[in-house]
Amino acid sequence: MDMPRRGPLPPLPNALANVAGKGIDVQTQLELQNVRRGHLYDRIARTVFLLCAILLVIVIAGIFFFVGQNALHLFFEPGGATFPGFFGGTTWDPTGVTSDSGIPQYGASGLIIGSIVITFFSVLIATPLAIGVALFFVEVSPGWAIRFFQPLLEIFVGVPSVVIGFLGLVVLVPFMTKLVAPITGNSPVGGFGWAAAIIVLVVMIVPTIASISIDALRAVPMSVREASLALGSTRWQMMSRAVLPAALPALATAVVFGMARAIGETLAVAMVLGGSDILPSHFGLDTFFQPNTNITQAILNEFPETYGVSRDAYWMLAFVLLVISFLFICISRYFASRRVYR
Amino acid sequence: MSTQVEPITAGERASNAAMSRLLRRLHTGNNIAVGVIWAVAMLVALIFVAIIVDLVIQGFTARLGNTAVLLNPDFWGGTEFGIASEVFNTFYILILTEIFLVPIALGAAIYLVEYANQGPLVAVIRFAAETLAGVPTIVLGLFGFILFSAQFQLHISRLAGALTLLCLNFPIALRLFEQGLTAVPRDLREGSLAMGASKWRMIRTVVLPSALPGIVTGIILSAGRIIGETAAIVFTMGETNPFSGVFTLNPLIASDTLTVHIWYLKTQDIPPGVTAAEASAIAAGSAAVLVVILLVINIGARSIGRAIERRITAA
Repeated sequence: MDMPRRGPLPPLPNALANVAGKGIDVQTQLELQNVRRGHLYDRIARTVFLLCAILLVIVIAGIFFFVGQNALHLFFEPGGATFPGFFGGTTWDPTGVTSDSGIPQYGASGLIIGSIVITFFSVLIATPLAIGVALFFVEVSPGWAIRFFQPLLEIFVGVPSVVIGFLGLVVLVPFMTKLVAPITGNSPVGGFGWAAAIIVLVVMIVPTIASISIDALRAVPMSVREASLALGSTRWQMMSRAVLPAALPALATAVVFGMARAIGETLAVAMVLGGSDILPSHFGLDTFFQPNTNITQAILNEFPETYGVSRDAYWMLAFVLLVISFLFICISRYFASRRVYR
Repeated sequence: MSTQVEPITAGERASNAAMSRLLRRLHTGNNIAVGVIWAVAMLVALIFVAIIVDLVIQGFTARLGNTAVLLNPDFWGGTEFGIASEVFNTFYILILTEIFLVPIALGAAIYLVEYANQGPLVAVIRFAAETLAGVPTIVLGLFGFILFSAQFQLHISRLAGALTLLCLNFPIALRLFEQGLTAVPRDLREGSLAMGASKWRMIRTVVLPSALPGIVTGIILSAGRIIGETAAIVFTMGETNPFSGVFTLNPLIASDTLTVHIWYLKTQDIPPGVTAAEASAIAAGSAAVLVVILLVINIGARSIGRAIERRITAA
């Protein structure tokens, strides 16, 4: 279809020309011109809006392209790492400053395990709390409590992680240091580490999981509850045997979202982890109470000081993080597609 | 018929007793469960309130010089003790980001709500939005560093930071704007189209004004995210301020925000002439200021959205 153009109009169809006698008067001509201009603007607007939406696709494609491209350099450049060396090695020293030989080492398994451990435990603790909060909101709470609770929850969904990290650093870490002194043998830095990071993360992801769970429970229709109550269930039976199973896929989506948030969380976790390049030699209770590290902490603190191949190692860490969170999003989409009630 | 009541047999009595035992057990279970749910909710609420209160208290108990940090005039000034430049930068980057974010995200939302038909293109856009929303902010920071700072030659600058924040907030703003647009009733659109308006004219004159409360709420809520973000701007906007001063509109200078300032003081480095205790106090004061700003924004989003809605529906 050719674009309508401004300027003199092409000759009109016969029918119209007949109505107006010999031609059409100026008024009609102007109106027609207006209509055509309207259509032109319409098409321009549509194209501009489409471009805005396409930009979203370009950004996400760009992220995978740029991060992936820089990351893969690590495996192909001289002096880089091997694939098993990166994922299996335990010494993370891309700049080669801590070893005597000065040879960089790219064993990232300690960082990856750190991220996985704190994500796993924080989600494990946060899920029951968040679902409890969601049940309270939807099934139990009187109106006044919700009016107080709802704004609080919304504020904490978007709470800046640096603020939680700051509080963790000045309140939680000193407290933990004293609390776990018997386990760590009075280590002055015993408050730092996985345990503090897990607690900080729980505070950060409970609101996320809770607010999605609330939507999930609200989507379950009243008739499900009424049917259960009419069969003589107590309120708790109604919740545990009717409402929660009905909302299960959507609740799973909420938990996976919480995981995605937890593994990518940077500032709060980095501030209370303390930082250490060495993978703990054994895995016990005291491992949770010693300065440790994870993927995001390593990137945040060390990336700006690196260059060349050692910088590519941090790109690889970022790429691992990107792929993990992408997998989480795919899993949550799978659960979301199995929702019964929307 | 006889009115005689049948005597209760032993078997019936036993089953009645069993029934009432069962009932009692169920009710006990119910009470315990509801009690646990109350306890969990109250615990979480208590932790949240305690965090906010504690942050504000820290601002009043941490001492800078011989007064509390929030009451010390130096803290509000432009010296190495002050946060005037960080507050300025925070609002500067907020406005710069919103200038990019609002038209682009609103345009995308309009396309998805008003123009798009269900199809592969829309599915791809929605999938992209979901994926982008799940990308860790630090990865976005690295992406902004390689694309805006390195490829586009913007270096470490406010503009690079704002563009990174645009990518970060795009999906959230898109969802909020979409909610605002879908809340506009269908009748209004049909009425406008029936009067002969073109689609763009309908959007401009009918849909956008009616969706204003939702749009304003979206802008304010994304403002909260922009102010609170750190990881994405550390690599793109910098950690410190230039010596020439930050009170300029130049978008190409590096500068820090309140959030970056807190992180930098607590874990990275202390500016010359400031002791560790003073740096801690400044960080505590900055955290208190940040939380108060965010509280005001959140409460503001609620009341402004409601006020606009009342005005529109009353008119």
